[in-house]
Amino acid sequence: MKTVNRQLKLILASVLLSATPVVASAQRANPPEPPVVPSTTRARPIPYPQTQPPERYDGQNAERSIKVDPSINLSLCVTQGKVKVNGWNRDEIRVFVAGGSNFGFKILQKSSKTDAPVWLMIVAAETKPKQSSPNECLWGGDIEIDAPVNATINIKGQEVTTQIDSVKKVNVRTIGGDISASNIANGVTASAGQGDITVEDSKGAMLLESTTGNIVVFEAGPSEIGDIFKARTHGGTVSMQALDYRQLEVNSISGSVVYVGQVLSGGTYGFGTTNGSIRLTLPQNSASGLSASYGFGSFNSEFPIKVTTENISEGPVKSIIGSLGGGGDAVLKLTTNNGNILIRKQ
Amino acid sequence: MKKDCLDIGSIQEFMDGELDQRRIASVSDHIGNCDSCAMMLADAEDESAIVFPALEREFNTLVPTQRLWNKINGAIETERDNAPFWTKAWAFLKVCLINPSLAVAAGLLVVVALISAVWISQNNSAVRGVEIVDNKPVSVTKPVVTNSDPVVIPIRPEILSENNAAVAVRSSSSPRTERSRLVNASFSEKKEPKPADQKPAEVTLPGEDSYVKTIASLAKTVDLQKDSVMRPSEWIAYERDMAVVNDAISKMRTEVKRDPKNDSAKQVLYSSYQNKIDLLNSVSRKEELVASMK
Repeated sequence: MKTVNRQLKLILASVLLSATPVVASAQRANPPEPPVVPSTTRARPIPYPQTQPPERYDGQNAERSIKVDPSINLSLCVTQGKVKVNGWNRDEIRVFVAGGSNFGFKILQKSSKTDAPVWLMIVAAETKPKQSSPNECLWGGDIEIDAPVNATINIKGQEVTTQIDSVKKVNVRTIGGDISASNIANGVTASAGQGDITVEDSKGAMLLESTTGNIVVFEAGPSEIGDIFKARTHGGTVSMQALDYRQLEVNSISGSVVYVGQVLSGGTYGFGTTNGSIRLTLPQNSASGLSASYGFGSFNSEFPIKVTTENISEGPVKSIIGSLGGGGDAVLKLTTNNGNILIRKQ
Repeated sequence: MKKDCLDIGSIQEFMDGELDQRRIASVSDHIGNCDSCAMMLADAEDESAIVFPALEREFNTLVPTQRLWNKINGAIETERDNAPFWTKAWAFLKVCLINPSLAVAAGLLVVVALISAVWISQNNSAVRGVEIVDNKPVSVTKPVVTNSDPVVIPIRPEILSENNAAVAVRSSSSPRTERSRLVNASFSEKKEPKPADQKPAEVTLPGEDSYVKTIASLAKTVDLQKDSVMRPSEWIAYERDMAVVNDAISKMRTEVKRDPKNDSAKQVLYSSYQNKIDLLNSVSRKEELVASMK
């Protein structure tokens, strides 16, 4: 009996031995691989090319002038510095650079009648120290330009504070630095990356854009019928006062909109912000149609409002459509996602 | 001395523990009632106490008694019973190798086992591909259970009978744990979608597609540029503004889905799309400006 049991044990052991690889192979049936999760690590940003402040005042002083057509179109590029453009009643351009690069005039086009330059460019005559490639952009501590009052000024700059006064038209684009324009006769186009834009006592169509700066405009209006006022900032406040435009498009993403002025008949006034308040201060006799949408905030008006449609139910959007101050030809369109709307009397 | 008294041999066997249980009991009873036998036992014990220590070496080495053999055999049996599996298997192998016919048989068995292992592993890889596909509906269709208890999914008998063939085929070569998952997968495939599970129809506003496409193409470009164009502070402002806009879009999309006739929500949605485009465009314009100044 013992022998039989021993043989049975041996057979069982042999069977188990032969089944071992089978069991082992079955154990290798891995579970399904988890889905590939994209890496959340952000690539390190490339360092932004920095200007070199210590070299601001190690340049030279230079001054040049040139006779030009009264309606000159002047272009210049500035790497860094403080640019002041002033209009004067001469058919001449004078440029003074303090502590900066030497420069020259590059005539791009002449008048067929007077043979005077109508399109002129100010270019750097030498490259900046440690600058690898030739660059037409000026640099300096102060760059002062006197130009005819009918001149059109085109400036593009990197780290530039710009002040322009008493010229016909302005077109400025900068990456950093404030832009200020006053007494502009026929329109301002200004785009500031990180800087404020201020426009004062100016006429003409306006297109003002800032990424993180504020926009302030006061006493401005159209130079021709149909001139449009557009102001847009992503992270700043738009503040307007005493504007005579009939078409305004003002928008901010995370800033407020402030308007103090009149609502002209037939005008279209669009004020919008995603995350900010809208505050209007209007004359007491103001009258217009009203369309206001607001989300997480409130709507308050010191003017009587005749409500046509109102939706104040719970939800991300509430709306009021009606007429303000008895109604009128103008349309007031106010939109904010997260902020209050307040309309006050002057 | 009584006539049924014990002899010295029996007393010696009693002392040595060589009697069976019944005999030990009778000897003990008799010694308890017979003074002469008790005296003999005492004398024998005294002699043993003197003689055995003196002859212990001789007894243990030269003359193994029956008692010693019994102890040896018992120890062997105990050791054999307590031996680990691998020791027994090694012993089995040694026996097999000593016998040529058994060695051949064992070799054949090993070869067959290896072939079967390879064949099963190949089948497993094919089945695994099916499992991944089948696992999808399981994870999607099962409700979320928030407590910490393990989720037990009852399987209806009729479903099992419907899928009996497939289950049998798959489970024949799959481990136990995988088998249960395959059964669940088959169950999900047969499950009729409930009305609550169906997604609501996607509401697309007129012109929304063009906004979305424009944003997608701009975002692709901007993602490549923004690292080189923006300073850290600008980057933070950009991301903040983008988050604000995305939040507005998301909320308005939800509102428009909920109430497709909400014109205000549509208007805000459109303006949010436009804000996003402007935001993306600002990066592109800045990149152009930087490039023009180089």
